[in-house]
Formats: sequence, C-alpha cells, structure tokens
Amino acid sequence: MLLSSILLLPLAAGVLCLLVPRRGLLEAVNISAFGALLLLGLDLLAAVLATNRGAVTEWNEFLRADALSAWMVLLISVVSLASSFYAVRYFRRDLAAGAITEKRVREFYVLTPVFASGMLLVVLANNLGVMWAAVEITALSSVLLVALYNRKTSLEAAWKYVMLGSLGLVLALFGAIFMYAAAIRPGEAAAVPSFNWSRLLAIAPQLNPQLVRLAFVFVLVGYGTKAGLAPMHTWLPDAHSEAPSPTSAMLSGVSLKIAVYALLRFHILTAACLGPDFSRHLLLGFGLGSMLLAGPFVLTQRNLKRLLAYSSLEHVGLICAAIGLNAPLTVFGALLHMGYHALAKPVLFFAAGNIHQQRHELDFRRLGSGLGRTMPFTALALAVAAVAISGLPPFGLFFSELTILVGAFSSDQAWASIGMLVGLIVVFCGVLSKLAGLILGPAPAGEPPRERASAGLLLTLSFPLVTLLVFSFWLPGAVRQLLELAADIIRGTP
Amino acid sequence: MSPPDAVSRLITLLASLMLVLQLLLVVQRMLITNIRLFALQSVLLAAIATVVAVAYDAWHVLVIAGLTLIGKVGILPWQLTRLVRRIKIDQEIHPLVNMPASMLICGALTLLAYVVARPFTSLTRLGSNTLAVALTLLLTGFFLMINRRKAITQVLALLTTENGVMLAAIALTTYGIPLVVEIGIFLDVIVAVMVLGILVFRIRESFSSMDVSKLNELKG
Amino acid sequence: MNSGLLAITLQTLLLLGLAPLVSGLIKNWKAKLQNRRGARVWQPYFDLLKFFRKDMVVSEHASWIFRAAPAVLFLSALTAGLLVPLATTQAPLGVFGGALALVGLLALGRFFLALGGLDPASAFGGMGSSREMTIAALAEPAMMLAIFTLATTAGSTSLDQIVQTGRAAGWGLADPSRVLALVAMFIVLLAETGRIPVDNPATHLELTMIHEAMLLEYSGRGLALMEWGASIKQLVLMALLANLFFPIGLAVAVTPASFTLGVAWFAAKLVVIAGVVVVVEFTNAKLRLFRVPDLLSAAFMLATLALVSTFLFK
Repeated sequence: MLLSSILLLPLAAGVLCLLVPRRGLLEAVNISAFGALLLLGLDLLAAVLATNRGAVTEWNEFLRADALSAWMVLLISVVSLASSFYAVRYFRRDLAAGAITEKRVREFYVLTPVFASGMLLVVLANNLGVMWAAVEITALSSVLLVALYNRKTSLEAAWKYVMLGSLGLVLALFGAIFMYAAAIRPGEAAAVPSFNWSRLLAIAPQLNPQLVRLAFVFVLVGYGTKAGLAPMHTWLPDAHSEAPSPTSAMLSGVSLKIAVYALLRFHILTAACLGPDFSRHLLLGFGLGSMLLAGPFVLTQRNLKRLLAYSSLEHVGLICAAIGLNAPLTVFGALLHMGYHALAKPVLFFAAGNIHQQRHELDFRRLGSGLGRTMPFTALALAVAAVAISGLPPFGLFFSELTILVGAFSSDQAWASIGMLVGLIVVFCGVLSKLAGLILGPAPAGEPPRERASAGLLLTLSFPLVTLLVFSFWLPGAVRQLLELAADIIRGTP
Repeated sequence: MSPPDAVSRLITLLASLMLVLQLLLVVQRMLITNIRLFALQSVLLAAIATVVAVAYDAWHVLVIAGLTLIGKVGILPWQLTRLVRRIKIDQEIHPLVNMPASMLICGALTLLAYVVARPFTSLTRLGSNTLAVALTLLLTGFFLMINRRKAITQVLALLTTENGVMLAAIALTTYGIPLVVEIGIFLDVIVAVMVLGILVFRIRESFSSMDVSKLNELKG
Repeated sequence: MNSGLLAITLQTLLLLGLAPLVSGLIKNWKAKLQNRRGARVWQPYFDLLKFFRKDMVVSEHASWIFRAAPAVLFLSALTAGLLVPLATTQAPLGVFGGALALVGLLALGRFFLALGGLDPASAFGGMGSSREMTIAALAEPAMMLAIFTLATTAGSTSLDQIVQTGRAAGWGLADPSRVLALVAMFIVLLAETGRIPVDNPATHLELTMIHEAMLLEYSGRGLALMEWGASIKQLVLMALLANLFFPIGLAVAVTPASFTLGVAWFAAKLVVIAGVVVVVEFTNAKLRLFRVPDLLSAAFMLATLALVSTFLFK
C-alpha cells in the first residue's frame, strides 16, 4: 500500500483544504502532508533498494516504482515541503499588504497538493496513458496557480502556458498512441496489447520500428514542450516569473524534471527497440540547443525571476544533453544534478519572492545595487544559492557538472562536450554578474526599508541550503546506490 | 480479419467529411457556428467508432463512441456556447493570415499529413486515409491556433487536434486503447475546457476583449 | 442517325421544358419557407411567354453584341446541355466533346453575358459584369478541377465515360475524392447560378446585384432568351452534379420504358438538389462581395485536394 498512500496523501490534503475554515489550519495541513510524504519517500527508497534491481508494484502492476521513480518521488517531496514552508510567511505578508485575497490563498493551498499528487502519479504510473493524464493534471493545476494573482501579465503567462502546454500534450498523446500501436503485432490482432511501460519494455525488440520512431519524435516535441526544451520553451520564462514564488519554486524545481522523466520513459523504450543512437542523438540535440539558447537571454535579462527561469532552461537542457550522451558517468551525473538543482533553485525563487514583497520590484535597473545592505539575510541566501546554481564548488552542482563533463569528454563526443561547456560558461557569467551587481555595492538612494530578521525567514531560506551543503559533501550510500540503479535503467544496461 | 470493402469505404467517407468540416472551420468566422461545426465533427468521430465496433465486434470501442458523444457533442459545445454568450463576442476578427492564403496553407498541411502517413497505410486496417486525416486535423488545428486571435477559437482548435488524436487511436489500434486511458483522456478534456473557460472569462474581464494578440506584454 | 436526331430532340425538349420549372420550384419553396404563399411553380413559363410577346427596347449606344448576347447565351447553354447525360448514359452530342467542351461553352455564354452588360454603357451593367468576372475567375477553375477529379478516375474527360465508370464503381461512389469534389462542385453551383450566399437573384439594389445587373437593360425577346438561357445553365450544372456524382437510374439501352424511368430518376435527383439549394439559400445571408473570393477559394482548395487525393490513393 506504500505507493497508493504516497499518491493519496497529498490528494487527501488538497481535498481537506477545500473544507478547512482557518488559514492556519490550511498551512498546517499542507506542511504536515508534505512532511509525511517525505517520510514515505524515504520508505520507498528502502523498499526499492530491497527489491534488488526490481521494482515495487501495486494493483497488478498498475502502479510501479523502480529506482528512477523513487528518486523523483524524493525530489517532489523535498521541493514541495520547502515550498509549503516558505508559502506560510509569503502569503501572510501578501495578505497583510493586500496583494491577494483569502479566497486565492485557499486556492493555492488546495491546488498545490493536487499539483504534487499529479506529479507523483506521473512517476508512479506504469500505464503510459495514465502517465499522460497525470501530466495533464499537473499542467491544469499549475495553470490556475500561475494565474493566481489575476494580473494582466499573470493571465497572459497562464494563457501562453496552457495553450502551448496543451498542444504539447496532444502531441505527446499522439506519440503514446503510436507507441501503443507499435505493440500490435499483425498475427495477434486479437490480442489487446498492454499499455504498461514494463510490459512494453519486455517486448521492445518486437515493436514496429517505424511506429516507434514516429512515436518518439512526437513525444520529444510534446513532452519536450512541457519540459521547456528549446524551441518550445517560450512559455517558460513567463509562467515561472508570473507565478507566486512558492509555485515558481515547484515549477522550476521539479515539474520540469517530471516532464523529462516522462520523456525518459519513452527514450528507454525507443532505445530498447531501435538501439540507443536514434533517441539519444535527438535528446542531445535538443538539450544542447536549450543550453546554448539560454545564454543570450540570461546575459541580457532585466527581470530577476525571468533570469532564474532561463537558468532552469539551461539546467534542464544540461540534464537532457547529459542523458543524450549516454555514458555511464554522464547519466549518473544528470540524475545527481536533478537533485542538487532541486535543492538550490527554490531558494533562489524564495529570495526573489522576498525581494518582490519588500521592494515591489523585480527589474534589475530599478532594484539598483546594494541588496546586501538593505536585505542582508535574503541577499546572503541569494548569494549562496547563486554560487551553488552556477556550479561553483563547494556545492553539489559543481560535482554533478564535473561528473557530466568528465563523462562527456571521455566518451569521445568532443563537439557535444564543448558545446555543453560553452553553454555552462555563458550562463555562469550571466547569472553571477547580474546577481553580483544586485547584491554588492552601495545601497540605492532613498533608504529602502531594511529587512527584519525572523525565525521563519531564516529557516525557510537556510534549510534547503544547509541540506544542499551537507549532501554536497556526503552522498548517502543508499542514495548513491539508487542513482546508479536509475542510471542503469535509463541506459538500458541489465 | 480483413474488413469488408463497404465498411472500409464508409470509414474513409466519414473521415473525409471530418476533413471537410475542419477546412470549413478554418474559413468560418462566426463563433457559435464554429462550435457547431466542431460538434458535428465529433458526431462523425463517434460514428466512425461505432462502425468499427460493429464491424470488428470490438465492443469497448463503443465506449469511445459513447464518451465522444457525451463529452464532445454534448458537454463541451454546451459549455463553450454558454461561455460565448456570457462574453457576448460572437465573431472572429481578421485572422493573421487572410482566408485564401490560409486555405492554401491548410491544403499544403493536408498534403504533408498524407505524405507522412503514407508508410503506415498498410498498418491501418480501417480505411486508407484515416491516419492521414488524423494528422491533418493535428496540423490544421495547430495552424488554426496560431492564425486566429479569439481565445475561444484557439480552444476549439485545440479540441479539434484532440479529435485527430482519437481518430488516430481508432485508426491504428483496431480494438481501441485501454478503457482506463480512454476515460482518463475524456475527463482530462472536460476539466481542461473548464480551466480554459475560467481563464477566458478572467482574460475578458481584465482586458475587456478576447483578442489574444493583446496579450503581448511579456517579452524577452 | 435517326435515333441520334431523336435523342437530340428529346434532350432539347427536356432541357427547354424542365429549366423554367426548376427555377419556379426553387422560388416557390423559398417563399414557403419564408411563410409566404409565393408565386406558382409554373410562373416562369408565363413570364417567358409574356416577355416574348413584348417589344425590345434597345439603348442607342448598344452595338450588335447587345442583340447577339441573348442568342449566344441561350444557344451555348442549350448545346452544353446536349453534352451532358440527362436521362441516358449517352449524351446526344457526347461524341463531339466532353468536360472541356462543356466548360468552354459555358464560358462562351458567360463572356457574351458580360459583354452584353457592358455594351449599352449603363453604369449598373458594367458593375455587374466586373463582379461576374471576379466570381468566374475563381469558380471556373474549381469546377474544372472537380470534373477533372472524376475524369482522372474514369480515365477520360468524356462525360459519358465518367458516368459509365461511375455506374460500375458501386461503393466507390463514396470515395473521399468524390466527396470533396462534390462539395466543391456544389459551391460552384451556387456561384455560377447566382444564388445566396454569392448573389441574390431577387434583388435589384445597386450594392447587391450581380447577375441582375447585367440583365437590367434587356427587355422583350432578349430578356426572355437571357432568362431561359440562365435557367438552362442552372439545369445543366445541376445535371452535372446529379449524374456525374450519383449516376443511378440512367438508361443504358434507349427504350421508351427505360427512358421514362431515366427521366423520372433525373427529376427526383433535381428535386433533391433543388431542395438542398433552397435550404442553403434560406439559412445563409448573402456574403459581401469581398468575402466571395474566400468562399470560392475554399471550393478551389477542396477541388484541388480532391484531385490530389486521387493520386495519393493509387
């Protein structure tokens, strides 16, 4: 019942939030639900490792969790927990400032667990069609979250998001159906093939190669839109910058990776049927494209949250490209990178949220410089997280990027590796220069109000960073084993 | 089991009619008429599903037909018509590309879809052009989304691509896709249109217009 | 050759006789739908009689074209009608020409109609002629493509051949290319016969009339021939629609019994097509002139797709 409880817990929390009267209870329900989810996730980690290269299944293989799924469950629970912690203070301040109504805050607390359980269903469902429906659920719930503030810009961002996202999902559904059709064998027209991923993987060599090829192309464009791969990424900066900061953290931190997960499931099937080269070259191409495209936009960016969104674009591109290189080190590094990114990115968004609430401004030119003097705690968190996200030591992203690059250069694909390096360097320069300009230097004239320290502020900002730092130096043996298993699953090595 | 010639031809005919309706959707400007054209297209889709179910003894394809009738012929057009009446905008404004040019583009897209579907015609046991029509619905729906400026037409275009997916599902998989998936897709489409309806209403209130080209503040 | 002459006479009588009846039927049914009593179904016959008995008044600016146009229109429509199989699978003059000759004859008639509108140097006439030519520029290619779609499957542009291949096709009548061509041809029918939504046959307002504008200067015998010719052209196009796309009930061997049966089937098909035209006229509003090319380009596109899809299925 482990998998079912993982799924139902946030869903129940969301439904409960519909009925609960007081805001304090809403916050408590959310935090406790995600806390429990984290514990269940750790439970799942142990269970998956115990199956010895197998998977935990339930409901006659309807729900299935292998090492890759278990890793994603952990990521989802960590990011959701951090976001719900931060949301408490964030929405209290917004309510006090009159920027949002009680009704909308309740909407947030109802939709966020639904969003989370959608993501959980994506990673736990064995049936490709159910996986698709779950991605659709996450898309729909996050659309309403993006439009939460009901500003003109929020509505515009939500509209672009839902239109592009839905179109991408239609393409992904096409792809899923082609994959299903590939399993129909002419002689056995009477047999209804299974839509289960595990069964399809078992019969992969007998799938119709033409249909599988077509399926992967459709799925790449479709789920790639949801993952924010260029050139289908145009909704990403808008949606991630207009959403409330806790939601932006979840969107950037984990929902992009869920779309990549869906894409990976198809990649594994395609590689098992056609050999790895077809799908991995496509993945590599799109990933590199995203990384290189993000560069100019990061260098010329004027809005803080959009800058962070483009940084997410780059990191997702890196993950896809690393998986596309298909060397043991690069895939392991990509999975590790997912984790560290999920810890660092939310902090950046939390800091941006604080800045927005304090200064009512996100434009670099109007924020000026000297954030370190006016908002010392936020600025410190921002600085540390910026250093982390740019891939500087001693943070984990440095190690994961190093792993990826080492694997890339040693796998004899020089041009791709150089492309990745160039992309990383450009974004590194862009992010650090912009944020350094923001944090360092003299305070702007006019004495903006000074930030006051509070337990809530310090905890929400420091908790993920401390966790990141700890895990940068010490990767628990169980986690390492899990990641190695997941990498094996992706690369199709038995 | 190879299909009787009549069944195959009937399905081909119905699919062609769906294509004609899609092209009419591209030309037609009145919103309520567009919604009705979409409903008619969904009726044809349900008819195709029924013919397949009866001809192949695949009774759970009847479920697809039933769900299509309830959802895309009943609930969705009703929801959308209500939305149009609430918003009180009933006509499309000038599209980005004018009518004859959009017709040419749609013609080109149809050809493209046929060319892409060619290698797979041996696999579709039901009518030789159903997969091509499904891909055409996808491509022309996509074109319709970028060409039109009223939010509701964009929603309709999305729904026609959905029709294309269902048609592809029926064409490629004789016995249909598993029931669970079918119901999941059905519910998703309904909820999606609900969410879209909420958004459209809020956009109308904020911008006093459903002209999506006015949503252009976020750049870079 | 006796049977040939007989066939020509019978077909001519059929054309001359049925044409005004179809116009009358459509007008009457439209009136009934609009909750009016409407004129009698036979009214066009009486109108023609009335026009023939009256004098012609000719503008002093008119030339020989003005007098010749009615005759050319009438005769070209009639000859075109003799090329189309109406009740039998063999058109009387079918051996002399097929689809191309048909289109050419109809084009000849339209050409003279337009010139006849321009000739008396009236403002309305010129305006009507230019509008007519705009529509013809798009409608004609659509019609040709639609007929060529059928010709490609039949392997010949001879209308007789097309009809005979159609009869042997059985379920092939429901081919997608035929369906697309049918829809295109129907839109062309509306355009060529000046029906709503392309043109309003009952209006005489400057802003809205096209066909009526070209007829405005005619009176007496000329007007009778113009009206009759126009209704024959309408009948010919409907016959194309009926017999090329639904070649059921056509007599193969010409015996009196099978011929009457063929005429009866033809009449039934005409009634159905007239009914559809009436419903379309009733439920639509006339398009602005600048929107008509949109509709016709849709027809053109459908016809092109129809033609191309015959190749894609080979």
